[in-house]
Amino acid sequence: MQHLANVSELRGAKAHAAAIEVAGLSHVYAGREGQVPALEDIALTVGAGRFVVIVGPSGCGKTSLLMMMAGLRNQTSGTILCAGRPIDAPDPDRVGVVFQEASLFPWLTALDNIEFPLSIRHAPREERRRRANAMLELVGLQGFGGRYPHELSGGMKQRVSIARGLVQDPPVLLMDEPFAALDEQTRMTMGHELLRIWSQTAKTVVFVTHSLTEAVYLADEVLVMSARPGRIIDRVDITLPRPRTYEMMATDVFGRLRERIWQQIRKAT
Amino acid sequence: MRRPAPATVRRLILVLILVLWELVPRTGLLAELFLPSLSKTLTVLIQNFDEYGEALLVTLYEVALAMTIACGGGILVGALVGGLAVLRNLLLPVFSSLYAVPIVILYPIFTAWFGIGSESKIAFAGVYGFFPVMLSTAAGIQTIDQSFLVAARSMGASLPQQITRVVIPASIPTVLSGLRLGGALAIIGVVVSEMLTSAAGIGYLVSRYRTVLDSPRVFAAILMILVLSVLFDALARWVERRTLVWQTAGRRDRTSAQGETIAGAPAPA
Repeated sequence: MQHLANVSELRGAKAHAAAIEVAGLSHVYAGREGQVPALEDIALTVGAGRFVVIVGPSGCGKTSLLMMMAGLRNQTSGTILCAGRPIDAPDPDRVGVVFQEASLFPWLTALDNIEFPLSIRHAPREERRRRANAMLELVGLQGFGGRYPHELSGGMKQRVSIARGLVQDPPVLLMDEPFAALDEQTRMTMGHELLRIWSQTAKTVVFVTHSLTEAVYLADEVLVMSARPGRIIDRVDITLPRPRTYEMMATDVFGRLRERIWQQIRKAT
Repeated sequence: MRRPAPATVRRLILVLILVLWELVPRTGLLAELFLPSLSKTLTVLIQNFDEYGEALLVTLYEVALAMTIACGGGILVGALVGGLAVLRNLLLPVFSSLYAVPIVILYPIFTAWFGIGSESKIAFAGVYGFFPVMLSTAAGIQTIDQSFLVAARSMGASLPQQITRVVIPASIPTVLSGLRLGGALAIIGVVVSEMLTSAAGIGYLVSRYRTVLDSPRVFAAILMILVLSVLFDALARWVERRTLVWQTAGRRDRTSAQGETIAGAPAPA
């Protein structure tokens, strides 16, 4: 019996295998006044299929941490594993990234922007079109593929950006304050849309934000970081049921979770 | 009454100038020495078409080669200076200062080196047009939005791909405006150098007939240069419009696009 229990435990562990594992990660950069410690001994595990939100005071290094997970920046020490293998350079097969500014190429149409990651890997034209169109539909922009970025609203641009991050079907999507530049209403709508897309695609999402409401609304788990040097000072499980609804924001549970995170950040600053 | 369209007003102004050009000398307000009438100028031009045609061919040949030097050299050097920090710090201040020097004072040196034939005109006008092309190419490459490059890297673009797929398309608008300016300066350079020291070309006709006070022939040559410059500018604008369709696409039919959105499903955020 003991043996069987172990096997099922093992299976359970496999089902919730870590999509991202960060261990002993520190980062020091050379500033004007010498060496500045930016991140200190970060350890975290993001389970596959989870929605994890990182919050923290400005300048705590949460964006840096995300960029390191994307392989876009190198840490001073420590390891980042994605799907069990270290990340030290961008790998769009494993990790898609959505940036704060949509950073869409203005000279390409929405559809060509979504196709870009496929075209630089010389995917066949037909397949590119098919997958980009499927992504366009997933993010609710069917019929807008021929528009150039300047013809799209801020929310639509971020939809295209999400589609571009997902088009290579990576298991992990990293999002760096993707809705920060949007107005409050659009931001709420986009958060809701993101949860829909997430539940349809079963991706692992790591999401950095300043907005505590957004954090609680979206996350399975919120990681709270301290001011520089950034450390992870709290891990809050968001126990709200899914699918999330706007009404939940008015509940006591929501308020208490938000308050707990807020207190942690206040203490940390 | 509705305000007339700007294009109509522009055409009317042009017609008015042409009419005044004809009427002012005819009514004797200005002597023919100062301003020969349009009809007289055109008559001289047609009667001496062989002479003017031949001069035009010489000028066009010189302009074409000067533009090739200015644009080719300008883009090449500009790309190197804009792309490599070492060269940028070393050369850009020098080039920027040189641009402010009235290069025409160097023309005597060009004639000493290359003689008074076409070669000195081509070399001088090539150098004259080189600076704006080179400076705007360097600026275009230097001012590329870094987030484009980060995004391209996150999608797995190699360095050559970042250059061909991001740096080049992103810098095309600035480069094109430099080409337009550099091309115009190449025309000016050729004509001015022909006027200073030469035995052929339209500029030569202007200065030769001016010294004998043959105003209709001077104006005929001036008219040719005017037409040449305007045609070049129109061509350059046309190329810009065709290449930069992504900057203006949809602007003109914005209203119809909105109508379509209202008729169909509401546009996503």
